[in-house]
Amino acid sequence: MGSSTKKKNEKKKGDFQKTKLKVGKTRPTNTNATDTSFAAKSIVLKQQNLGESGRDATTLFNHNLSLLSSKNETQRRDALQYLTAACISFGVANLPQSPGAIIAKAQSLILDGNSDVRTQLLKLLKVLPTTDLGSLDQILLYARAGMAHLSNDIKLFALDIVDWLLVSSPETLMACPGGWIKMLRTFQNLLVWQGEAVNGVVTHGKWSATRSTSNKLGSSKLLVHQLNTLTMFLTAGLTPPPIDPLAEVKRAALVFPLLETQCHLLPAKSEPFGYLNLFGAVRDVESEVYADADERANIFNELGMLDIFKAGAREAKKEAGEVGRAASGLEKALRLAEVG
Amino acid sequence: MKRKVGALEKVDADLPNLQHKIKTDPISYQDDFVNQYGLYTSIHELFLTSPTTTDDTGLVRLRDLIDFISHTADCYPKIAGTFPNDLIKLLQLHHATLEPELRDKIVGSLVLLRKKDMIDSNTLLNTLWPLLVSTPSKSLRALLYQKIVSDLRNSNNKATNHKLNRSMQTTCYNLISSDPASPKGIWAVKLTRELWKRQVWSDAKAVSIMEIAALSQDAKVVTGGVRFFLGGDQEREDAADEDSDQEEKNISMGKLRHQAGINKKTAKRDNDLRAAAAKLKRKEKKKGTPHPLNFSALHLLHDPQGFAEKLFHQHLQPSQPKVRLVLEQKLFVLQLVSRLVGLHKLTLIPLYSYFLKFLTPRQPSVTSFLASLGQATHSLVPPDALEPLVQKIANEFVSEASAAEVASAGLNGIREVCARQPLAMNETLLQDLVQYRKSKDKGVQMAARGLLSLYREVGAEMLRKRDRGRDAAMKVRAGDVGGARRFGHVEGGGIEGLELLEQWKEEQGMEGSEDEAAGWEKWDAQSDNSESDTGWVNVESEGEEIDISDSEDEREKAAAKKRKIEVAQRKKSDKENVDGDGDAAADKPAAEDNTSAAAEASERTTASLEPEAALKREESRISTLATTRILTPADLAKLQELRQNAALTHALPSAKRRKLAAASAAAQAARHTDDAVTAADIAGLAKLSHKSTKEEKVRMAKGLGLPNGATEDAGANDHRSTTARRKEKKAAEGKSTTNREKARKKNFLMTLGKAKKKGKRSLGVQRGILKAHVERGKRGGKRGNKGQAGGGS
Repeated sequence: MGSSTKKKNEKKKGDFQKTKLKVGKTRPTNTNATDTSFAAKSIVLKQQNLGESGRDATTLFNHNLSLLSSKNETQRRDALQYLTAACISFGVANLPQSPGAIIAKAQSLILDGNSDVRTQLLKLLKVLPTTDLGSLDQILLYARAGMAHLSNDIKLFALDIVDWLLVSSPETLMACPGGWIKMLRTFQNLLVWQGEAVNGVVTHGKWSATRSTSNKLGSSKLLVHQLNTLTMFLTAGLTPPPIDPLAEVKRAALVFPLLETQCHLLPAKSEPFGYLNLFGAVRDVESEVYADADERANIFNELGMLDIFKAGAREAKKEAGEVGRAASGLEKALRLAEVG
Repeated sequence: MKRKVGALEKVDADLPNLQHKIKTDPISYQDDFVNQYGLYTSIHELFLTSPTTTDDTGLVRLRDLIDFISHTADCYPKIAGTFPNDLIKLLQLHHATLEPELRDKIVGSLVLLRKKDMIDSNTLLNTLWPLLVSTPSKSLRALLYQKIVSDLRNSNNKATNHKLNRSMQTTCYNLISSDPASPKGIWAVKLTRELWKRQVWSDAKAVSIMEIAALSQDAKVVTGGVRFFLGGDQEREDAADEDSDQEEKNISMGKLRHQAGINKKTAKRDNDLRAAAAKLKRKEKKKGTPHPLNFSALHLLHDPQGFAEKLFHQHLQPSQPKVRLVLEQKLFVLQLVSRLVGLHKLTLIPLYSYFLKFLTPRQPSVTSFLASLGQATHSLVPPDALEPLVQKIANEFVSEASAAEVASAGLNGIREVCARQPLAMNETLLQDLVQYRKSKDKGVQMAARGLLSLYREVGAEMLRKRDRGRDAAMKVRAGDVGGARRFGHVEGGGIEGLELLEQWKEEQGMEGSEDEAAGWEKWDAQSDNSESDTGWVNVESEGEEIDISDSEDEREKAAAKKRKIEVAQRKKSDKENVDGDGDAAADKPAAEDNTSAAAEASERTTASLEPEAALKREESRISTLATTRILTPADLAKLQELRQNAALTHALPSAKRRKLAAASAAAQAARHTDDAVTAADIAGLAKLSHKSTKEEKVRMAKGLGLPNGATEDAGANDHRSTTARRKEKKAAEGKSTTNREKARKKNFLMTLGKAKKKGKRSLGVQRGILKAHVERGKRGGKRGNKGQAGGGS
C-alpha cells in the first residue's frame, strides 16, 4: 500500500502532469515553444572580423577602409581613427590607397548620425594629401545634402567639409558639375534670401508670418558659419588663379624648339575630357561647369544672384555683432563679382 | 538596425509635424519646404549615382522625404514642379533594383499626386501600365494592378471619362494585338474583366479587347477572353446585386439615432450620424434612377459571324495549331462558339461535323459537348447537318443496354437539339425514343417524357396516335401544323392583347376616323398619366441636353393639364355607360367592370374548342387591326389596361390550370432563346437514378453532403426526420422550447427530490396542492391576468 501512494505522488510530479488552465488568464506557453514573433529583413553583423594579428599594414588599412560601411558606429569611428593614424604614419608619398579612393569610401559618413564619427571623419580628411583628390562631385553632393539637412549638427559639419574643400582644392571644386551655381543656390535657400521677398510680405493676397533673419536655433552660430563659408566660396570662385609669368617662360625653355607641347601630349590628369560630358545626362544651367573666374562672375550676375546676395548681406549686416562682421566680409567678397 | 535619434534631431526631423503645419499655412512655411526640397534633391542625386544601395544609415531616408513632398507638393506647384517627373523616371529606370519599400512608396506617392491633380490620369496610367506588364516582382504587380483599377474607377466616378477609357483600351488592345503569342496579354484581359464587372467599361471597345484576346495565341489569354464572354455578364450582375445588398444591410437610421441619444455626444459621432443620413439619402436617390442599360458582351460584338468562324478555325479545328489547349480550355472555346452560333443564328456548318467524333459515352465531359451541340442548334441550321448527329446520339447513348445516366443524357441532348430545330428528327426514331418513357429508371423516363411533350407541341403528327395527347390530337385534326414543319419558316410576331383591343373597339362602336383623331389629340395627356404605371422610364442621354424654350414649355403644360381633366371626365362617363347595360358584369369584381364583357368574350374564344374554320376567321380578323391602321397612343394605353384586366380574369381558378401550362411553356421557350445550355441540363435527373451506397446515405443523413464534393442545395440533401428539421428551424429562428420540452429535458437529479417527497405528502397538503392547481387553472396560469387579479394565492 505504501508503495502505491509513493507511486501516485511520483506520478503527480511526472512529465505528463496537466497544467491547469484558468479562465481569463493567458495560456501558459509550452516549454518547447519557438519564438516566431520577430521578422528580420536583413541580417546585421554587429561584429565584423576584428582579429588584427598576422596581417601587414596594407591589408589592415584596406580592412579598416571596408569597416567604414559597418553598421556599428563605434566600429566606424575606430576605423576612421585607425585610418587617420595610418595616413600620418605612412606619409603622403606611399599611402596604400589613393586619397580619392579613401574619400570615395568615407564621403557617405558626412551624413552619419553620430557626431563622433563625423568629427573623426574631418580629422581624416585633414590629414589626407591635397594633391590627388580625384573627382569631387560625389563628395560635393554629400556636402550639399548635409548643408540642407534637418539636423543642425550635420549642417554645421557639412559647412566644415566645404571649408576643407575650399582650402584644399578650390579649382577642382569649381570644376565639378554644379559646383558653382548649385552651391550658390543651396546657400541662397539656407539663408532664405529669396530675392524680392521682404519680411512680412503679402503673397497671393495672404499675410504670411514674419521671419527673423537669425536662425531659429537662438544662437547665430550656424548663420555666422554659413556666411563665412559663403564668403570663402565666393572668394575662391571669383578670384582668378595667380598666373606665374615665369612658369610659362620656363616651360617654353624646357622644350625649346617646340611650341605648345602640352596640347599635343597625352593628358596627365584623370578623366581629361570629363568636362565635355559625353556620357552623362544633359546638364542645365545650374549643373553646368563654369571653368574660369570670369565665366563664373558673368553667370552670377546674369541669374540676378548678385543683387539678391547683396540685399541679403545688407540685411544681415544690420544685425551687427558676429553676424554683422561675417556679412561685411561677404560684402567684400561680392565686390569681386561686381568688378568681374 | 535603426539608430537612436537624439532629442534635438527628433524635433528637427519631425516631417509629419511640418507637413501638418504646411497644410494649414503654406505661405509661412514655404522656406521650410524649400529646405526640405533642397535636401530631397541632393539625396535624390546621390541616390541616382547608386540606386541599389539602401539609405537606412542616415538620419533622413529618401522614402520619408518623398512621402513628405508628395503630401505637400500641391501647395507649392512652382517649386516642386519637377517632382512628379523625378519619381516617374526613378520608377521607370530602376523599378527592378529599387528597395521594395521605397518602390511601393514611390508608386503610392504618384497616386497621391494624381489625387492632388499634380499629374493627370493619363500620365499615371502610362507610367504604371508598362511596369505592370514588365516587372518581375509579384508584389509590385499586385500593387500596380490595384492602383490602376482604382484610378480608372475614380476617374469614371462622376462621369464617364471617355478620353481616358479610350486611350487605356487602345493600350490594352495593342498589348495583345502587337504580340499575340506573349502571355503578357493576361493583364489586359484581367483589367478589362474587372472594369467590365464594375460597369466602368461597358462598351464595344472593351468587348473588342476580349475578342482579340480570345483569338490570341497564348492558352491563358485565350481562356481569359473566352471565359469573359461566357461569364462576364453574370459576374457583372452579381457584383451589382452585391453592392445594393451591402448598402441595404449597413444602415439602420433608427438604431443610429437611438445610439446617438444614449452615447456621449461628440463631434465624431455627430458626423457619423450625418454621414449615415447622407448615405441613406443617396441610396434613396439611387433607387429612383433607372437601371443602367447594359448590353451583354455577346451582343456588343462587332462581327459575330467572323468571330465565331475564327475561333472555330483557330482553336477547334486548326490546320496548324498555334496554341495548345487542353480539353477543358477547348470546351470553353466550344461553348463560346456554340453560344454565338445559337444566339446570333450564325451559319457554321463545319461545327456540326466537328461534334460527330466527340459524341460517344466514353468521351470525357461528354455532357458539356452535348450541351454545346444543343446550344449551337437554331432554327436556321439545315436539318441534314443535324440528322446524323441526332442519329449518332441515339445509337451511341440511348439503348436498353446502356447505363441509365447515359441514356438520359442522350435523350436530353436530343431534346435540346430538337427543341431548336424540330426538323432534325425523323418519325421512326422519334417513335422509338418516345418508348423510353416506359423505362424503369426515373431519369430516362423524365427525359423521354420531355421529348414527347416537346413533339406534342412542335410535330404531333410524327408521334403515334395514342402518344399525341388531347390538345395535340385536336390540333392535328384541325390541320394546324403546316407552318412550323417547313425549314426556314419564321413565326410572325403579334401584339399581345390586340384582339382584346379590337373587340373593345367593336363594342364601343369606335371604328371611324374621327375617333382616331381624338386618340392622337389626347396622347400627351395619356402619356402623362400612364407614366407612373406603365413602367417606361425616361432615360436621359449622357452629355447632351435638349434645349426647349421656357415659354413654349409652360404653355404646353397648361394645355396638357386641361386635357387631363377632360380625359378623366370622359373616362368616368364611359364607366357609367358600361355599368348601366352590363348585367353580365354584375357578378364580377368591381375592379374589372370596365372591360368585363370584352375579357369574358376573349376568354370564351381562347378556351373554346371550336372547329378550325372559326379559329381561322378570327385570326384573319384580328390581324387586320394592326396592319390596316396605326395604333394611337390612346389605343396603346387602352391595350395595356385591357391586358392587365385579362390577366386578372386569368387568375380565377377556372383559368389557372391553363395559365400554368402556358407559363411553363413560355418559360421553356424563354430559356431556349437567350440562356446557355449547361452540362447540368443534359445530365438532368440522372442523379435520381443513382443508387447511393450505405456510406453515402450515412453521410447525407449526418448532413455532411456528398462525399466527392458535388454541390447540392441543402434542402435536397436533408435526410433527417421531419421533427429534427422542425426543431432545427425553431432553434435557428431563436424561438424557445415548450414546457413539455423543458420537462422532458430536465436533469434527472433535479426531479428526484420532488419525486421522493410526492409520495409522503399528508392528505391536507395534497388537498391544498390540488386546490391551488384548480385555482391556477381558473386564473389562467401561474401569472395569468396579473393586473386584474390583484390577490395572491
